[in-house]
Amino acid sequence: MKTTEQLTDSMFYIMAALTEPRHGYAIMNLIEESTKGAVSIGPASMYTIIKKLLKQEWIYLHDGTDSRRKTYLLTEKGREVLEGEVRIRKLMITLAEEGLKKEGKV
Amino acid sequence: MKQTKYVMSEGLAFAEKKDMEKLRRLSLKGWHVRNFKFMGYSLEKGPSSDFKYSIDYRSLKEEEREEYLDFFSSAGWTHVTTEGNTHLFRAAPGTPPIYSDRETAAEKHGELGSSVRWTVISFVIITALAWLGTLITTGAFQSTLTVIAVILTIFALPASWTVTAIYKNKWAEEGKRVLVNVTRTLPFLLLAGAIFLITADGVTSVFRLLAYMIVGAVAFPAAIWVVTSLYCRLGKAVS
Repeated sequence: MKTTEQLTDSMFYIMAALTEPRHGYAIMNLIEESTKGAVSIGPASMYTIIKKLLKQEWIYLHDGTDSRRKTYLLTEKGREVLEGEVRIRKLMITLAEEGLKKEGKV
Repeated sequence: MKQTKYVMSEGLAFAEKKDMEKLRRLSLKGWHVRNFKFMGYSLEKGPSSDFKYSIDYRSLKEEEREEYLDFFSSAGWTHVTTEGNTHLFRAAPGTPPIYSDRETAAEKHGELGSSVRWTVISFVIITALAWLGTLITTGAFQSTLTVIAVILTIFALPASWTVTAIYKNKWAEEGKRVLVNVTRTLPFLLLAGAIFLITADGVTSVFRLLAYMIVGAVAFPAAIWVVTSLYCRLGKAVS
């Protein structure tokens, strides 16, 4: 088991978006588009999480030349955390899917 | 010259939602917030519009400001004004809220709380020490210490009240209902303790004084609350 705390959904989405360098607005857009509008991250939540991820060194400032639109990217450590989280979430989905399949047969 | 007016805040730590709702109603009548004023807001007359308002607390360094504000404007929130660490935003109805999950919403109150917590706690400790000091001193020294203790209490009571309210907001957001209920009953416990001190025999007069101050600290806001809510009801009934 990993010793890190489990990521919140919002943290997971933001880290998933930062597998490529992106700025805040781009992260928000990507999350909204890829979830077809079902998930939108509020600006205050987003800012809080970015600061937290920076502090934990799971992301780093990739390009700060445009002070309005700074871009961020996952660190090596962040990538590992995200990979670990993906494994757990896959198990979670499998558990639910198999449960639902069995239920359908009865 | 633009028409302006002032409205009082009920205290963001105590009634943030109510304040935001009031600002929305005022905007519908064409009165929009321009900035924070002492214990309230200054408003400016303009065309009536439907805005919803939100507060965020954050200490920002100069180089962080632009990015922070850009997050909000990209999400449809217009920055209205900032005072210290308190930022006010407004948006059209239907704009998603500035906090989209519980964890970060709780952190909003947590950050505010931790920024003032230690100052207030040390202040309360100094106040308590001053009161204890009146017990072991006599004469002129005791009188001076009593005056100091009273003055400190005047500041310490509302300060600790505010910090408690901030943490209550945080716990409410985290769903810690027991803690929220404990803080709700705190004024009653304090009041009961103070009444006990006043009525019990053999209590030194300085502690009676402290007890009276606590009664005042609980009763005064309660009285204001009763008057304002009666006034609001009557106002609504008339209009």
